[in-house]
Amino acid sequence: MINRTKLISRTYDLPEGHTLAAYESVGGYKSARKALAQTRDQVINEVKAANIRGRGGAGFPCGVKWSFMPKASAKPHYLVINADEGEPGTFKDRTIMEKNPHSVVEGCIIGCYAIGAHAAYIYVRDELHLSKERLWQAIHEARKAGYLGQKALGFDYPVDVFVHTGAGAYICGEETSLLNSLEGRRGEPRLKPPFPAQVGAFGCPSTVNNLETIAAVPLVFEVGGDSFSQMSALHHLKDGGVRLFGVSGHVRTPGVFETAVGLTLRELVYELGGGPLPGSKVLGVIPGGSSCPILRPEDVVNAPDEKSPLHPWHGKPVFDVPMGVDTYRALGTMLGTCCAIVLSDKADPVLAFHNIMRFYRHESCGQCTPCREGTGWIERILDKLVAGEATMADIDLLHEIGSNIIGNTICAFGEGAAMPVLGFVQKFRPELEAYVNSKGKSGTGRLAL
Amino acid sequence: MPSIKIDGREVPYEPGDTIIKAAHRAGIDIPHYCWHPGLSVAANCRMCLVEVVPPPGKGNVMRLDVLRWDAASKKYVSDKKPKLQPACQWSCDDGMQVFSESSPHVSEARKAVQELLLLNHPVDCPICDQAGECRLQDYWLEHGRYRKRMKDEIIHKPKAVSFGPTIVYDAERCIVCTRCVRFVEEVAKDPVLEKRERGNLGEIFVAPGRTLDNNYTLMTEHVCPVGALTAKDFRFKARVWFLRTARTVCQGCATGCNAYLDYDPRSMKVYRHRPRENAQVNQYWMCDKGMLSYREAHERRVLRARVGGNEVGVKEALEEVKALLAGVKGDKVAFVLSAQHSNEDNHALVSLAKGSLGGADFFLTGRAPGQADGVLMVEDRNPNTAGAIQVATTTPPRQMSDLLEAIKNGRYTHVIALGAEVPVDAKTLAGLERLKTVVIAAHEGPLTRVAKVVLPACSWAEAEGTYVNAKNLAQRSERAITAQGDSQPGWQWVVAVAQALGHKIGFSKLSELRKSLSGAPTAASASV
Ligand SMILES: Cc1cc2nc3c(=O)[nH]c(=O)nc-3n(C[C@H](O)[C@H](O)[C@H](O)COP(=O)(O)O)c2cc1C
Ligand code: SF4
Ligand code: SF4
Ligand code: SF4
Ligand code: FES
Repeated sequence: MINRTKLISRTYDLPEGHTLAAYESVGGYKSARKALAQTRDQVINEVKAANIRGRGGAGFPCGVKWSFMPKASAKPHYLVINADEGEPGTFKDRTIMEKNPHSVVEGCIIGCYAIGAHAAYIYVRDELHLSKERLWQAIHEARKAGYLGQKALGFDYPVDVFVHTGAGAYICGEETSLLNSLEGRRGEPRLKPPFPAQVGAFGCPSTVNNLETIAAVPLVFEVGGDSFSQMSALHHLKDGGVRLFGVSGHVRTPGVFETAVGLTLRELVYELGGGPLPGSKVLGVIPGGSSCPILRPEDVVNAPDEKSPLHPWHGKPVFDVPMGVDTYRALGTMLGTCCAIVLSDKADPVLAFHNIMRFYRHESCGQCTPCREGTGWIERILDKLVAGEATMADIDLLHEIGSNIIGNTICAFGEGAAMPVLGFVQKFRPELEAYVNSKGKSGTGRLAL
Repeated sequence: MPSIKIDGREVPYEPGDTIIKAAHRAGIDIPHYCWHPGLSVAANCRMCLVEVVPPPGKGNVMRLDVLRWDAASKKYVSDKKPKLQPACQWSCDDGMQVFSESSPHVSEARKAVQELLLLNHPVDCPICDQAGECRLQDYWLEHGRYRKRMKDEIIHKPKAVSFGPTIVYDAERCIVCTRCVRFVEEVAKDPVLEKRERGNLGEIFVAPGRTLDNNYTLMTEHVCPVGALTAKDFRFKARVWFLRTARTVCQGCATGCNAYLDYDPRSMKVYRHRPRENAQVNQYWMCDKGMLSYREAHERRVLRARVGGNEVGVKEALEEVKALLAGVKGDKVAFVLSAQHSNEDNHALVSLAKGSLGGADFFLTGRAPGQADGVLMVEDRNPNTAGAIQVATTTPPRQMSDLLEAIKNGRYTHVIALGAEVPVDAKTLAGLERLKTVVIAAHEGPLTRVAKVVLPACSWAEAEGTYVNAKNLAQRSERAITAQGDSQPGWQWVVAVAQALGHKIGFSKLSELRKSLSGAPTAASASV
């Protein structure tokens, strides 16, 4: 049974749902009032109890991240909201910005208060024009209403929120690259340490949160941290609450759906997504954005160890495992942004692989050698494979190049680019070999159906 | 002192040290491209990756999933590897263990990085000036030695791009380590270089509207670990493996940058200057003027003795000197020391004056001052002002203007001078022409033009010497090439003059001279 919820998306279907009036009609800004009446530590503890796992891809607990911020420092603190949403197949943050922007502003007020910041920057991907417009509208409305400003919501705590336009690079979604871009520098990841909580935006302590993460924060103060967490089927794994799930690709009803955490991939693809297109079957699903290794319907959980978070599903299809940060990591893939891409058996997985690796070659910032040259080499091999010019020896290089990128780079882009390689070669080696043997003629030749 | 272990060897470190810094100090080489001890850390080449085991109780090594292909079973098998860390970025922690040469994972990573760096590299070695001192070549021998597995055409990028008056850039050879970018920003304080494009299309470019034309352009070539930046001055002139080097002191200004002077021993021709690391003096750098001043070993040289403007043999010249100075009273001679000559040369002249001729009137000449640049170059464009003054001991030399004034007043009949450069123009020197002037100089200059007798001295490239810089540091400069033409070290000419006049000067060998120099700073107190 799918536990569909309407919390993050509560204004989605309201007429003029993006306005302050609509947001307040469903209880908007009450949470921020509650939060600002508490101490900073109480707010952080409440968010910790809510077990909101970061929705930008890494799944780090939001409350814990906030607690890393210094309690007092000579420098200003900043809250930075990551709305770069560049991960292929991911389009959930956009729906919030367009249809529930006030939840972001309210989340920013609470977030700023919790980390001792007075300003939040929302870094929005350049192409999302309506999103930027709606966010600015919400900010203006909130300023006018006195919710933002020198006395946010009437409390003696100044908060303001600003929208910053990105310049169209996937790498600027990586948090330190985003900070560079925000400061007007070349969008290249920084070395860590120092971490953003020590040296972030403009050299000051900063927290970077994904936009959905921050939009979920007001809900915590509506129902209480623990109750929020309990909505999830994975509460015991500290993976709480509700979240947005996306599904796209070769399904009948692609879109963004809100449910409690714990939805399975099967439910997402076959029920919410409406199942494969007529006359076709699901060949594989990339679960959470293109960086996450692909899962196939016939894959079975292998977790004999009782301590594994996957043990309850040992021997069952992976499609039936609840989608959580830790369950998916244990599966050898990632939950990522929780936006699945479905590949039909009428489509060509080799072309899908090629397409993804073209993206990573194009988007590598080029700073570090393994990623810069490795992604380029992989793309070349796949270019040749698709053109019918590759050899078996070329295929044998793919996993090695990928394995030599993993762990050896400055930022997680390297893993993001290499993990799908390891996934595809493991799951589609016969298809890759057939391409060599047939000189590029073995596949269906189609990616879009 | 806290310490870490590198491949089992105890290595002490100073608080704040990265692994590579501690290793560097201990003489352990961790291969690297982008790290440079004088620049900020970029950690982008990933050549320095090492396995790090934190001290007990301070965390575990993350293990990562990788994939291997088992040819026998024709199956992929999952494997784990430890997360490696860049030694240039990772801080030392007491009791930390580092595996560099001894870790198979590190060897694998280095080999992979090396292969990836050469993936789109043109391997122009036969026509590349860097060949022979190129890290790509060195590390390929150490960590590579494989056949190229990418057989496709490399990515072509601009070659031979002029960055300015001195530097040429080859984007295909560039490994985008950003050393050059960091150098111009952090050391030269002129951020004219940046990176553009991304991924494997990245390249370095000069800020629009600018050229690379600050005082430190040649240093970009020097910090470039490969042949991407080459110096117009050195391009295609020599193969470095034919060159030999001497540890010299730059003659460009009173900073006294430590340098390597590279020369071809077959032709005794000098080809270039390179900075030599000295934390107290020039750190890792030299300015363009200093870098190019190697040319002075061959340019504007006085190579034959002259009498009245006519070239003569050494013997005739000394006879003329003898005739000129016969019976002269010491107090009628102006002794001109040179801020461009070594302590040894100046000391010889002081000894001749005080001991042999009984004179005590010293003056000091040298190049006219220039502008300080706030980085290395100081106003005083002479390498040994401090030394020349110290060597004169109780009779401090006076300025050139005092000499001209005294000459006008008929104070002197004779002048014996070291060096040719004076901080005044030739017209002002007209009064000197009337006197009996002997000049011992390596280069042509205003003084050689007015001298009755010119004796050809060795340049710094051909003679050992001690120079005292503006910070009062005495530094020894080694001889590179053999003496050119009839030139001899300046001090040796002074000895010859003394002997010609039948005086005893107390030394005839460099070692004896140095002994007699004790008291004045010598190389014994120098830190070179
Ligand atoms: C290559 C790369 C791209 C990323 N892109 C995004 C993005 O578009 N949006 C986002 O929220 N996080 C992105 N992230 C993750 C961020 O670095 C960061 O972890 C996240 O914004 C933190 O927010 P969270 O803790 O709320 O998830 C990306 C990471 C990498 C390595
Ligand atoms: S891993 Fe890739 S994207 Fe990240 S810093 Fe290195 S080159 Fe840039
Ligand atoms: S940079 Fe090094 S490897 Fe490249 S061509 Fe020059 S010498 Fe050869
Ligand atoms: S030109 Fe040389 S120093 Fe500059 S980035 Fe390229 S390889 Fe590095
Ligand atoms: S030396 Fe380049 S990464 Fe450390």
